Amino acid sequence: MREIWALAVKDLKLLIRDRAGLFFTFFFPILYAVFFGVIMGGMGSSEGREGTPILVIDQDHSKASEAFVASLEADSQLRITRSEDRAEAETLVKDGKQTAFVVVPGGFGDSSKTIFKGEPIRLIVGVDPSHAAEAGLIQGLITAKAYERLQDLFMSPASARQMARDAMAEVDKTSDMSPVQKTIMKSFLGSLDSFMKDMPAAGGFGGTSGEGGGAGFNPIQIETVDLATDKSGKAMNAFAITFPQGIVWGVMGCTAGFGISLVSERNKGTLTRLQTSPLSRSRVLLGKALACFLATVGVAVLLLVVARLFFGVHPQSLPMLALAVFCVAVAFVGIMMLLSTIGKTEASSGGIGWAVLLVCAMFGGGMIPLMFMKGWMVTLSNFSPVKWSIYAIEGAVWRGFTFDKMLLPCGILLAIGVVGFAAGSRLFAWSEG
Amino acid sequence: MIEFTDIHKAFGETVAVGGLTLSIPPGEVFGLLGPNGAGKSTTIAMTVGLLRPDSGTVRIDGGDPADPAVRARLGVAPQSLAIYDDLSARENLLFFGSLYGIDRAAAGKRAAELLDLVGLSDRARARVKTFSGGMTRRVNLACALMHDPAIVLLDEPTAGVDPQSRHAIFEIVRSLRDQGRTIVYTTHYMEEAQKLCSRVGVIDKGRLLALDTVDALIREHGGDSVVRIERAGGEERTQTAEPVAVLQQALASGDAIGVHVERPDLETVFLNLTGRSLRD
Repeated sequence: MREIWALAVKDLKLLIRDRAGLFFTFFFPILYAVFFGVIMGGMGSSEGREGTPILVIDQDHSKASEAFVASLEADSQLRITRSEDRAEAETLVKDGKQTAFVVVPGGFGDSSKTIFKGEPIRLIVGVDPSHAAEAGLIQGLITAKAYERLQDLFMSPASARQMARDAMAEVDKTSDMSPVQKTIMKSFLGSLDSFMKDMPAAGGFGGTSGEGGGAGFNPIQIETVDLATDKSGKAMNAFAITFPQGIVWGVMGCTAGFGISLVSERNKGTLTRLQTSPLSRSRVLLGKALACFLATVGVAVLLLVVARLFFGVHPQSLPMLALAVFCVAVAFVGIMMLLSTIGKTEASSGGIGWAVLLVCAMFGGGMIPLMFMKGWMVTLSNFSPVKWSIYAIEGAVWRGFTFDKMLLPCGILLAIGVVGFAAGSRLFAWSEG
Repeated sequence: MIEFTDIHKAFGETVAVGGLTLSIPPGEVFGLLGPNGAGKSTTIAMTVGLLRPDSGTVRIDGGDPADPAVRARLGVAPQSLAIYDDLSARENLLFFGSLYGIDRAAAGKRAAELLDLVGLSDRARARVKTFSGGMTRRVNLACALMHDPAIVLLDEPTAGVDPQSRHAIFEIVRSLRDQGRTIVYTTHYMEEAQKLCSRVGVIDKGRLLALDTVDALIREHGGDSVVRIERAGGEERTQTAEPVAVLQQALASGDAIGVHVERPDLETVFLNLTGRSLRD
């Protein structure tokens, strides 16, 4: 073990003394996390793609709510799953298994009929905090669907007349309005009723659009539920969401660096020299793996310390975080072993290594949010260690995963590590003759 | 004792070593002489267990070099400068020492001794990347000696070094010889083999062409000496097995204004054995 430790210490010394490597391993990920943290802190909107998975909980069970949910289902940009349990829906979204949930609360149908009374149509929306950039888009889509339902009411003269009559009855009953207001409102609704009477059965307003609603008239109200909260219900900041990605970028830098270092040692002859020592080949590789593991853990710890001290990120569970970092490090050590066997020169190894890692990052949500991807790409993302690494770290940092929930990402990461190390070692032994 | 018994090694169609049989007794400085591509490095690689022969056996004190315990008796200074540029000379030595299980205190003492031996005590803590080629070569050699091996394999130890470092390396090899270590010294510089080696094996295209002491090889394969006698009318060249007698004759004639004797050397031996120069 002492010899393996000596090998690892030597590699860590070499890493620390390589300033360019040090920058890309430790400081670039901080820049990445801060940059996207600042952007996501604004919760800006972005353009959408098809198939965003959304859970819909219809608590109203009215014709209007059914029609609204059906309109959501008909939209190719959304992938709707119905649910009856709001708590479960919140958990699924927080766990990252669904992008958002929409609650159609009781009274939705009644509100649709009485919009002139001033009661807005309420909807409750919760979006996965790691998809903060898409939250605006999802809310926009849902609002548009609600407005479409409203438009449908006006497009049908019969339903519009019924709504006008219902509203006049409500105006008669209400005590919230002065007699003058009641007279004006009844006059307006009566005129509307008369106007609709002469309209053809289909076509309604003929699709003409007006100049927009009057000031202050907002018939649809979207309530958002903040899912990015810690155990005490305190809101998480955007950096809690971006630092896991930053950590994975740092880990990828480490992996690429160590993959190249093995090729460099082979070409320089130091690897041959190590193999002339009493150490077996497997122990030489274990030394390299240990160095990569320690550097990876070091990157993660450093970034987490920076996140904690300078960006106010409070991980929800330190034991789960330790588990996640351990598993991520194991996975990327395995990947490093594989990458180190691919290239013959440092340049080719570096190029191939980064190409592979960037593809993993692209498909794993390290660059582009998964919701912007086609269905097959999302399926493919399951093969990306980046996805599971981010997921595991997020689980510990802000998703509030229990050990049970950590099992899936951590199990996959450990499997990647073990298979990668075994395959890499075998390929390495084969290439060394 | 290093013993090669009829070892063969081929890479595809290329025969690197074809039927080498050789014994190197303890305490000998043995030179393996041959041009680039002759099979010297492949032989070294099989000696240290990096390569397995296709057939035949290599034994180090009766043991298989694939056995880590056997390899621990060997110190190898590869032809490539197989040390870490970003570590200091001392750190390199300590690192390679640690691979052999030397404890830190003993390794520190040994590193200091070796740095003194290779004349780099004053640069012990400087990074190797700041060293000249010759200094780096000396560190490369020192790393092979950290665990005090009984057998030292030096693969082209003077390749690309300045005269000062070359001289220093010669002194180190002599010092190792005086300590009773077995040294295998591969080179394509014949003068190095002549200066340092008690026996020389001439190898080409994977085959051992001749094996003996330097003097015996020259006697047997070097051919005649050439005596050049300068006279007022020009230079006379005489090829002879008795150069002293020719010289005496020339001096007795009284008209010689200069004499020069060209004795055959290992270069001549190699030329006569293979029909080409060592550096071809």
